[in-house]
Amino acid sequence: MHGEYKMPGGKLVVIDLEVRDGRLADVHLSGDFFLEPDSALHTINATLEGQPEQATETELTNAVRDAMPPDVMMYGLSPEAIAVAVRRALHREAEA
Amino acid sequence: MMRTDWRDHDWQLIHTIPQSPTLHMALDDVLTHEVGAGRRKPTLRIWEWAAPAVVIGRFQSLRNEVDADAASRHGIEVVRRVSGGGAMFIEPGNTITYSIYAPQSLVKGLSFQEAYAFLDAWVLEALAELGIKAWYQPLNDITSEGGKIAGAAQVHRGGAVLHHVTMAYDIDASKMLDVLRIGREKLSDKGTTSAAKRVDPLRSQTGLPREAVIARMIATFRRLHGLADDHVRADELVQAEALAQTKFSSPAWIADVA
Repeated sequence: MHGEYKMPGGKLVVIDLEVRDGRLADVHLSGDFFLEPDSALHTINATLEGQPEQATETELTNAVRDAMPPDVMMYGLSPEAIAVAVRRALHREAEA
Repeated sequence: MMRTDWRDHDWQLIHTIPQSPTLHMALDDVLTHEVGAGRRKPTLRIWEWAAPAVVIGRFQSLRNEVDADAASRHGIEVVRRVSGGGAMFIEPGNTITYSIYAPQSLVKGLSFQEAYAFLDAWVLEALAELGIKAWYQPLNDITSEGGKIAGAAQVHRGGAVLHHVTMAYDIDASKMLDVLRIGREKLSDKGTTSAAKRVDPLRSQTGLPREAVIARMIATFRRLHGLADDHVRADELVQAEALAQTKFSSPAWIADVA
């Protein structure tokens, strides 16, 4: 499943994922955003992996935010935007 | 760490013979590290391309961005850079690409948005001298009344900031749309039929040869910030060539975000 979201004033945030046994699996974040250090990409993917399929946007946002070390820098990307892209992938909503 | 200004540094210029796409990726990695470690003075590097390439951003999906068959058919190499941002379609002579390797102190206290505009203020001035009214379009574009001119990306590494920019000098829009998938999607969204409507290259805006635009940019940087002629050191080149052949050519890196 595939979801895209361009946050206002931000960059394109893309999520590809599967659902297995009611949980997110094979989650891959991509896009033309800026994220440092780049290892944070794998932290975000690992955090989303296994989240309940029914998790709300707020719950997903908090999960990503809580997993981020304090030195992470996001530009054109935010935990909220990632959560929106995940929900869109799950709902197969039309992209903005 | 105190905030520094351009003139607090002894800026060096590297502008050399055309080099391969993977070597360019590796030189950005090595020279950023050298400036951060204090072994190299802050540097402006103007790129010359030896071969066509698609350069995708650090976090872009290779599969989603690039039509691999089309790239192969056109003989275009696909490489991944160390910074975020979007895909660039490069043909030798069609783009002007440069990198600034600066100590972090130069952008200390600036927001990301301010840092992008600050590091490219000299380019806006050079463009104005060429008769082009251009401005910064957050987050990371240089644009003009005619359309987008350039895209920038930054990455921070151990005491240094790498700021690199690709400007469109000329563009083969049909080939670009053949190779870049995202271009097709964005265009279909906007209902336009030609990429040339979104990007207005410097050739049509200035009527000048590419070399003349580059000469103006170098002269403007030199006048505003000071600039001494330099070259890539032998040890830097050895490191970069090794990285180009290992990391930057490896499928593991290029498809790191599949």
